[in-house]
Parts: sequence; structure tokens; C-alpha cells
Amino acid sequence: MTLLQAVKNFVRSKSIHVCYVDVGSCNGCDIEVLACLSPRYDIEQYGIYVHNNPREADILLVIGAFTPGWEDKLRMIWEKIPDPKAAIAIGNCPISGCLFDRPHTLIDPPAAKHIPIAAQVPGCPPRPTEIISAVLSVAPLVFRDYEVAKR
Amino acid sequence: MKRTVDVSIPLGPVHPCFKEPARIKCETRGEYVIAAEVELGYMKKGIERIMRGRPWQEVMFLAERVCGICSVIHNMVYIEALEAMTSIPVPERAALLRVIVNELDRMQSHILANFSYCYTIEHETLAMYLLDIRERVMDELERITGARVTCAYIVPGGVRFDLRGEDDLHLRAALAIIEEEMTRYLQMFATGPLIALRSRGIGILTKDAAREAGAVGPTARASGMPETDRRLRHPTYQKIGFSPVSRDEGDNYARIMVRFEEVLASIGIIRTCLDLLQPGPIRGGGIPGAGEIAYSGEAPRGELSYFIRTDEAGRVLDISIQTPSIMNIEACCHAMLVGVASLADVSSTFVSADPCIACTER
Repeated sequence: MTLLQAVKNFVRSKSIHVCYVDVGSCNGCDIEVLACLSPRYDIEQYGIYVHNNPREADILLVIGAFTPGWEDKLRMIWEKIPDPKAAIAIGNCPISGCLFDRPHTLIDPPAAKHIPIAAQVPGCPPRPTEIISAVLSVAPLVFRDYEVAKR
Repeated sequence: MKRTVDVSIPLGPVHPCFKEPARIKCETRGEYVIAAEVELGYMKKGIERIMRGRPWQEVMFLAERVCGICSVIHNMVYIEALEAMTSIPVPERAALLRVIVNELDRMQSHILANFSYCYTIEHETLAMYLLDIRERVMDELERITGARVTCAYIVPGGVRFDLRGEDDLHLRAALAIIEEEMTRYLQMFATGPLIALRSRGIGILTKDAAREAGAVGPTARASGMPETDRRLRHPTYQKIGFSPVSRDEGDNYARIMVRFEEVLASIGIIRTCLDLLQPGPIRGGGIPGAGEIAYSGEAPRGELSYFIRTDEAGRVLDISIQTPSIMNIEACCHAMLVGVASLADVSSTFVSADPCIACTER
């Protein structure tokens, strides 16, 4: 491993920028992601910053069952994120559609049909601690030695 | 007359200040906003279409997931509509427990709305204080109902769980802390000079405009319409002697202050309920039958109405939900946003109306 790679690994482990996008949830998971910001969970002590700007994000949190309004927009947001990147599905909705996936529904789950999903956090809604631990366990798998793995 | 429009500026749907996707299109002259339009349609899941033809037990969980922030009130209005339709009696203790849980839910929703506003005007210190105190409210909700969000606590004829052991002592202790802290934050908000610069006199909704747009909830009460509070017509609230909060300014400052004061009022309501609690049954049972009813309740954002028609087996044949945010978004884009002096105030004015897009589109 080169020195440059070692520096990159160190820097990436302490600075994970997160963007969350709500593709049709009930708001419950949204608010649990917001609760991660609160001083009790304090997501920033782990070096995770919630920016909500895809252009400077590393990790995309996908919340909600996939609604028709997001048909190609979710992919556009995903393509705006620079490499290396990962998407995490928060809650049951992007995994299976939860209780919205019934006859006569308008949604089109799972989110994995539209963008590659690296990790899933089930729950309706999951607890803030589970969301933080998912981000922290996915980040090293994706970001460490990214250039080596790409070659 | 021809209007001079420099540029039409879109905000959203993915925007750092909005928690949910909505698009605001502002027609501006310089930075002065001449007209605004809110474009929705990113969250439509078709919940009412899913609900039709399903047994009431399943619709109960779907109704709760119309909105994840104010899930308790959706549960409460839906169940109370079924109870009123088939005259199911509710034990005294259960009615009071419902009010306690509903007020806790209202507190966390209002604190979250104020957090969003403070975050939008870049007062991050106060925002983080508010988000921290919200976790205490969530703890109490979880202690009583067993879940932080979407707890399905209210069932026909009662509630699921009683207060256990020393729950009421814990609740009283937490309320004392929350009251002390919220009073401090209210003072910080009321007297902060920079907050006043970003909030006072911005996004004014006059009483006439509020009435014309049909504004409800804290948005209407900040424009001097306390009679819009549906809690005044709820039997349990009538019994415990409830009086709504209202202010007359109608600007962003008034809307946030109304929410602060309602949190303090909710603490008072919960204390009254805890004093009135007598030992007794919490669940009488009862199965909804055939009928048709329109029923309203006061959600944290305003009046929430359900229209339900069921058959003998308790299947929901027809249901329609009217959520408060749709009126407030109308009031916001037709009255509040017009004449806002800069684009930075557009997002804060929109957030001050506390729009819940998930409720609005369902």
C-alpha cells in the first residue's frame, strides 16, 4: 500500500458525508435520521456529516418506498455523487415496500431495482443507533483501499 | 398589467433545509418574491386506495403511517371515528391516557418544527438544544407506548398498555425538566436580536388571508384565530378545561412562539390528566360494525378529518382523509411567500408553516 493510499484511508475514515433522500416514506424514518443529529446520538462525533447535497456526499441514505415521482430522479441523484460512494436503505419501505406494497398501490419497491444498495437497515422505523451503526460499518468496506480494489 | 419577472427560481425537491421533497417555484424581481407556487407529487403512495376494501384492523396501521411525525393523532382520530360510529364506550382512564400520549406526540412534533425553523435561519445552537430536549419527550413516549414512532397505542374501546410501576413519577420528573428547559429556550427565542431580524415581520399572514386560505393549526392561531383549535370540541379536553394559545402578529416569529407556548400548554394538560387518573380498566373491548361517519381532531399541524364508511364485517368500504398541511401550504404560497424580501427568507417562511409533505400527499 502506498503512502498516498494510507493518507486517503485515514482521511476517508474520519469524514463521511451523508445525503438523505426521501423517495416516499411516511416521515418516520426521516425524523429518525434527523434524531441522529441530536446531541444525544451526536452523529458528528464519528466524523459523519449530514449535508443533504449529493455533489459532496459519500453515502446516500434512501428513505421510503419508491414513488413514481422519483422514476429517473433517484438515479440522477445517485449519478451526481462522486466515487467512492454507497447507498443505504433505511427502514422497511425501500427494502420491501412494507405495508404500502399492496394491491392498488402506486409505489414500486424495492429501491434496489433503481440504484445499487450496499446495506439495508430494517425497522419501521429503525432506531437512530441502528442507522449510525449501519453507516459506520458500511463506510470502511467501501472506502478503505478503494483505488487498490478498483484496479 | 404586464408583470416584470426577472427570473423564476426553483427550490427543491432535494434541498438542505427541507426534510421532505417539495418544489417551490418563486417568480422574483431581483430577490423580491412576486409570486410562489408549490409543486407536490413526489410522495404520493396512494394510501387511501390501499385502505379501501381492507378490514379495519389493517387500516389502523395504515392510518398511522399516513404521517410518521404525528402518528398518534392519526391513530386517535381513526379509532375515535370508529367508536363514534358504532357507539363503543371508552373507559375513563383510557380516555385520559389517550390525551397524555397525544399531547406528548404534539410536544415532540412542535419541538421538531421549531428545530427545523431554527436550523433554517442558521441558529444551530438553539436548534440542537431543541433536538436534545425532544429526545426526552421521545423517551417518555417510548416508556408509555413501547415505541418511539408509529406505536399503535390506541385501539377501539381503550388503549393497549396501562402506566406501569413508576411511569407516572418518571413522566412528572421529565415534564419538570422539559418545562424548565423549554422556558429557557422560549426566552432565548423571544429575546434574541438576530432571531428577531430573521423572523419578525417576515412572511405575514393576515387574519383575513388566513381565513380565506382556510389555514389551520398553529399557523392560523398565530394570525389570531384561536377558535380553529378542534381540541375545544373534544369531550376529554373539554372536561380538563383547555384554552388555546393565540397571537396576533401572523409573522414567522408568532408561528414559532405559538408552538413554544403550546408545548408549555401541553405540559399543563398532561399534568392535569395525571392528577385526574383513577385506577380502573383501560380496555373495554368492542368491534366496529357498519356505518358512515365524518370525524375531526386536532393534529399538531391543525384540523385532521376522516370520512369512513364500513360494512357489517368491519371492512372499510370508503375512506378519505383531509390533512392540515394542504391548507397551510396553500396559505403559505399564496399569502406568506408573496412579498418576502429575499430568497433566504423563502425557505424559512415555508418551514415556519410546518408543512408535512407526507401527510399532504399520502
